[in-house]
Amino acid sequence: MSTIERLKKLFINKFDFNVEELKPETTLEYLGLDSLDKIEFMFDIENEFKIKIPDEQFKVTTIQEMVDAVDRFVSEQVSHSPSPAMSY
Amino acid sequence: MRRRVAVTGMGIISPCGNNTSDFWAKITAGKSGVRKISSEYSNLLSAKIAAEVDFNPSDYFGKKQVSYLDRVNQFALAAASGAWKDAALSLDAKEKERSGVYMGVGLGGANAIEDGYVRLFKQNEDRVKPLSVLMIMNNASASYISIEYGLTGPCLTISTACASSANAIGEAFRQIRDGYADVMLAGGAESFLTYGVFRSWEALRVLAAEDPEDPSKSCKPFSKNRSGLVLGEGAAVVVLEEMERAVRRGAPLYAEIIGYGSTSDAFHITKPSLEGQSRAISEALGDARISPNTVDYINAHGTATQWNDLLETQAVKKVFGDDAYKIPISSTKSMHGHTIGAAGAIEFIVSLLVLKNQAIPPTINLDQPDPECDLDYVPNIGRNGVRVNTVMSNSFAFGGTNAVLLARKI
Repeated sequence: MSTIERLKKLFINKFDFNVEELKPETTLEYLGLDSLDKIEFMFDIENEFKIKIPDEQFKVTTIQEMVDAVDRFVSEQVSHSPSPAMSY
Repeated sequence: MRRRVAVTGMGIISPCGNNTSDFWAKITAGKSGVRKISSEYSNLLSAKIAAEVDFNPSDYFGKKQVSYLDRVNQFALAAASGAWKDAALSLDAKEKERSGVYMGVGLGGANAIEDGYVRLFKQNEDRVKPLSVLMIMNNASASYISIEYGLTGPCLTISTACASSANAIGEAFRQIRDGYADVMLAGGAESFLTYGVFRSWEALRVLAAEDPEDPSKSCKPFSKNRSGLVLGEGAAVVVLEEMERAVRRGAPLYAEIIGYGSTSDAFHITKPSLEGQSRAISEALGDARISPNTVDYINAHGTATQWNDLLETQAVKKVFGDDAYKIPISSTKSMHGHTIGAAGAIEFIVSLLVLKNQAIPPTINLDQPDPECDLDYVPNIGRNGVRVNTVMSNSFAFGGTNAVLLARKI
């Protein structure tokens, strides 16, 4: 499953969104997510992708930006052996 | 000038039902909400019993809220919602500035506390859920209610163990009576049936033994073979309104709160004091400017501990004299258990329903009378068709805080 698919799945588990609302260009503001929602979501992302997201490094505004940030953290932090699940 | 205060709405989440109709039907029929608990840790406990609430959060909240709100806050919001709808309240912005929330909470977000410790100490994780602080802090219930209804008046959380929500209602009553607010949502919430909490209460040696024949009969207030309290959970909220305002808008008028007594034993951290309890009763009566023999029904604190039931009986006798024998006094904790932070509010709602329905719920499991507790505790069977105009609700807490509320039929 691609990063964006995995993120969408997390979103739908946590919040009452429809999958159609979650496009790459959709902004977190449009989805009505506030600062608390963001830290909750970061927690779920850290669990799902086995990464650590430092506070200052997650200034994302759209879903695509979130995907890019997650992919960057994964390639920096997770072991460098290739894993099919990580493919975009 | 003391303004009059009406109760115009009630909402409840309890081991005997999640609305006032179900709750009333169950307690007047003498049906117990105490049962064997089903959690995985229950076989580690001595007494595997509690008064649990059956509650599906998805019936009340969206997905996000279900994960953000500790169970205690879910209960509080659900009870507040019941009360708000019952009162059919509608407030403009100016009125909301004169409306507040007072909630009684004993422990607070117990499930979140336990979840956090399990993660850190048992599962060796290095972090807890992000909103843990917000789920644990015991002012969350009151604040969430304030946010939900836009109430910008005073928003406080009162924590006096078993008297918390009685104090919350009493203090909210004073806010309106003394002109600081016109509408108050007041009540309490508790949901702490976790492994750590059970073990803590077990260690204090105040929990009831499981009745060998029927676990639902384990809480036996005023009985000779009473053995302690049964922990419960729940929430209850009442809407209090300045009387003229309530009458003018055609609000439901359940009762008028006429008196509130609040004292401290200043004696012992657990053992009750006759002086402290009887003075709280006398103060409430004095506040209401009524004589003791005006009271038609008392909802007892009646925890089923040796000490409370004995001292409460003595306190009632001290204040009421021979009239004590004429006033029915029942402990509904025999059915809904001891809900600590929610107890005062749940039991105040019992008292209001007594006024509304002119019927009295029993003290169940009273099979072996105690000669030292010889008042009319309405043993086992409720009473219909009674004439009740004035009711009293007692809460006598660990720590020694005593709160007594008086209400009268309108």
